[in-house]
Amino acid sequence: MIAQLVCLLLLIIFYMLQTAIFSQMPLISGTADLILLFFAAWTLQERVKYRWIWVVIGGLAISAISAMPLFAPLIGYAGVYGISKLLQRRVWQAPILAMFIVTLAGTLFQHGVYILSLQVSGAPISWGVSLDHVILPSILMNLLFALPMYALVNDVVGRLYPLEVEP
Amino acid sequence: MKFLKSKNIQTFIIIALVAGVFFLSLSGYLTPVFNLSLNPLISFQSWLSVRYLSAKDFLTAPRELTTIREQNALLESQVTQLQTQLIQLEEQLSEAQVCFTLLDFARTNPQYEYIAATVIGREISPFQQYIFIDKGTNDGVLYGMPVVTQQGLVGRIDAVMANAGRIKLITDSTSVVNVFLQSAGTEAQLYGSLTGDVTLDLIPLEEVVEVGDVVLTSGLGGNYPPNIFVGQVLSTQKLDNALFQTAVVQPIVDFSSINAVLVIANFQAVDYSPLLPEE
Repeated sequence: MIAQLVCLLLLIIFYMLQTAIFSQMPLISGTADLILLFFAAWTLQERVKYRWIWVVIGGLAISAISAMPLFAPLIGYAGVYGISKLLQRRVWQAPILAMFIVTLAGTLFQHGVYILSLQVSGAPISWGVSLDHVILPSILMNLLFALPMYALVNDVVGRLYPLEVEP
Repeated sequence: MKFLKSKNIQTFIIIALVAGVFFLSLSGYLTPVFNLSLNPLISFQSWLSVRYLSAKDFLTAPRELTTIREQNALLESQVTQLQTQLIQLEEQLSEAQVCFTLLDFARTNPQYEYIAATVIGREISPFQQYIFIDKGTNDGVLYGMPVVTQQGLVGRIDAVMANAGRIKLITDSTSVVNVFLQSAGTEAQLYGSLTGDVTLDLIPLEEVVEVGDVVLTSGLGGNYPPNIFVGQVLSTQKLDNALFQTAVVQPIVDFSSINAVLVIANFQAVDYSPLLPEE
């Protein structure tokens, strides 16, 4: 229960930081996505139960607030969760490497969903310009913040679920 | 030897000796003698002085150090307080300057009623150009209301909640604004883009558009009131096989650093969707 409350609190804090600060610090036209990084780091924690619930709740809440059409944020974050689940058992010996891979693949997937949903809704967005001006800078920014985010979430989860030491 | 006992002679001898020593000293012949005699004295005096000062420091320094530390802590706390006050005053000054400029704009455009709002955030997706404000339906903000700053057009209210609103900026890729080129005397459409650049399209080929031409809202379409400053023409492009010429516009508003906006409350956006033919 405490873990769920902490997750909710972190989600709110990261959303506020994202909209107030990180979305206003673009690299070309790309920005870091703290929510994506938080979900990537949170879903990589095997000790946490019901990780998907907060991905759904967070995705729905952000879809409601965001101007993105067709619940694109929810689909994007669900994709991050899916990639995380796929990688969790395969690169379990190097969780930081898994975090980087989830960040990279998750950002690509999320932005792909965003572009498709905007194109479906009639926005004149091209893949080439998106790749140059938004996707690649966003990947770079996300990879920069991936390590501190993973360290933070790992530390929080370590405090919430301390490992049992055998006597 | 009796004459030596005479006082005058003794006095003369003493004077002669003193004068001799004095002249020897002046001529430098006595320097080695002085050195030999003074050096040990100087060494001893310096040793004594160093020991005295060390002892004095040892006895007095701890008390002074404590006092200095206390004073330093006090001064540091005062400096921190003053810095905090300075930051608060600078923030208040900045807000006051923004308020004054917005008030100035409102005074120069008295035909509209304004709702001043503070920008509290930006859209999470980098593909869209939206900002959030701290005023909503509780403050009279409604969907479709145009938004300006003291400089010019910002966008329009795209979504609104009780205490917050979302503004679609004119730089968004789905934004279209009907504008009027003041010098050329022609109308055109202003489009946003993914990168935040804005371009003019649908300018007739025969019109002469020059760099620096002022772009104002035309009021056509009913989404924005007329004659609101949008920007200036930065460059033009005229292709031989194109139906219209295009131009890149430098917006007058710096969208990366908007702190406060004015929502035009008494402008009724025209909903012409019933006039559109049904598909």
